[in-house]
Amino acid sequence: MHLGKFVLVRATQIAITFFIILSLLFILFRVAPGDPASLVIDPQMTPEDVEETRAIFGLDKPLYQQYLIYVKNFIQGEFGSSFYYGKPVLEVIGEKLPNTILLFTTSIILSALAGISWGKVIAWRRGSLLDSSVTVVGLVSHTLFLPWIALLLVWVFAYWMNWFPLTGMITPELWVDPDTGTVRKVLDVLHHMVLPLSVLFTIHFGGFMLIMRSSMLETLKEDYIVTARAKGLTEKQIRERHAAKNAALPVVTSVGLSLAFSINGGAITETIFSWPGIGRELVFSVSNSDYPLAQIAFLLIAALVLVANLVVDVLYAYLDPRIKY
Amino acid sequence: MKEHLARERDKDWLEDMAGREFRTGLGGKWDRWTKGFLGHWEIFRKNKLGLFGLGLLIIFAAMALLSYIPPLIDPMYEPMTGVDPDILWTQGPTKAHWLGTDFIGRDILSQLLVGARIAFLVGITAAFMAVAIGTSMGLISGYLGKRVDMILMRIADIIMVMPGLLVILILSAVIGKLSVWNLVIIIGLLRWASVARVIRSQTLSLRERPYVQAAIISGASKGRIIFRHIGPNVLPLSFLYMTFGVTTAILVEAALAFLGFGDPGTVSWGMMLQWVWKTGNMFKAPYWLLPPGICISLITLSFYLIGRALDEVVNPRLRQR
Repeated sequence: MHLGKFVLVRATQIAITFFIILSLLFILFRVAPGDPASLVIDPQMTPEDVEETRAIFGLDKPLYQQYLIYVKNFIQGEFGSSFYYGKPVLEVIGEKLPNTILLFTTSIILSALAGISWGKVIAWRRGSLLDSSVTVVGLVSHTLFLPWIALLLVWVFAYWMNWFPLTGMITPELWVDPDTGTVRKVLDVLHHMVLPLSVLFTIHFGGFMLIMRSSMLETLKEDYIVTARAKGLTEKQIRERHAAKNAALPVVTSVGLSLAFSINGGAITETIFSWPGIGRELVFSVSNSDYPLAQIAFLLIAALVLVANLVVDVLYAYLDPRIKY
Repeated sequence: MKEHLARERDKDWLEDMAGREFRTGLGGKWDRWTKGFLGHWEIFRKNKLGLFGLGLLIIFAAMALLSYIPPLIDPMYEPMTGVDPDILWTQGPTKAHWLGTDFIGRDILSQLLVGARIAFLVGITAAFMAVAIGTSMGLISGYLGKRVDMILMRIADIIMVMPGLLVILILSAVIGKLSVWNLVIIIGLLRWASVARVIRSQTLSLRERPYVQAAIISGASKGRIIFRHIGPNVLPLSFLYMTFGVTTAILVEAALAFLGFGDPGTVSWGMMLQWVWKTGNMFKAPYWLLPPGICISLITLSFYLIGRALDEVVNPRLRQR
């Protein structure tokens, strides 16, 4: 089967890319000024002790051996312990991955869907007042500074109106209480998610909408639209079935291209809202010089972006039957 | 008589030649250039949003220039080090401080003005670097093709899937706080890939043109063909991507400063937002929270709008009939 082969080829490419990122990270942390062991070695240690500590960390071995050990450890799932939490990094980060995926995927899907449905409407009514006003909204949304709009939304909707919680993902008292049902818990998370989701939605919506608009305008010039008109189809049928379906494909591509950019915004949003995800953990670990944690958080985010890319590619291949794998 | 007529004719001829010389020489180039510029300006002018963006840009340029004035009036208006001796904590707008003061009594207006300078500096230099690298890589990749193309484009692919801001975070974990110039270099190195892709596809079509074939036959070297014959034809596109690149570079710098990894020696708008956020004043001091965010959003909007208007100049396909 063709699609299966295509997925296999793309997955292999992505695995190679990930391996290159892994190696770059190794080079980065070893080439960097300062010995990695200098964090643990304190100046009062005798030279013998220093040597011993370096041996424990494997830093006395030649660089290529260190690299092989690094790759081996990675494959075996041993990533060392966090300096800050004193626990294995995987324990720290593992429980946070789903939270990030939840926020990230929901925001991308929602903003892409909204972008597509608004983009097609305003392209259809090109030059109207609706078109120009929604385009301006989209332009502003695309260039807004994320942390600022996040702080504004918190200020207005959490601080003034008191509609939503200021930060966090759950209300701890509610979750400790054994009587709380699953529905309550889900609602609680959703309640906490509204603001961070709105921030990410605001930032991403504009870009997707502008792409959908220009793609739709291109599609409307195609011959098959004229044919559809000639057949006497209704305007709605032409717009929805003939134009919008084809025009939406570039939006799918742009979702793939903007994934890396979206995760940046995701990390900032998580930090501002204290959303317990890996982006926030990365920002924290970098401020705390917690290298093992920073390293794994970055690798996980890179893996997340790569996998999401693969999903988008497969989706594209599925949606566009013309594509040759 | 005949002689006289002949001399007269020669004189005419000489004058005629001189005139031609003048038109095809420097003056001719100048003429063509201004005509081209005016033609493009006519198209640009029709784009209302583009004009709005240009207006915004002029305001921000004025802000950057004005930033030199407040410290001359009084040392307490020094954006980084100047402290009003009478004010200890953040305070709303007064006559002495039109936009109020921050948490240690520094003037917010003078910080805001200096922020424009930093934004231009970072945005333009980083975008220029990204576009310079991206254009050369795209040209080389597109013209040489084969193995060079494959290697360069694989590198570009890897760079494009990396989340730029988080890469810079990791780098600053390893290297320590990044200075503005380091940041500019890193943004340049992380942003060239998308430019290279566009320039490459343009080069692929340009290299099949007759004038390139003519250059190959007349024995021009590869370097000459790439940079002298194809290069100038992709420059409008590069320039377009530079305006978009400025937007990204400013946003990255601001986001980094906001998260607390900015250059500690500079006052940027992102830094101001970090201060208002970290000192817990964001709900108490709107006069402090609003201006830097508005400035960042508007300056990126301005470059983006100009970019879109230029896009219409470069791609006639986009113009509304």
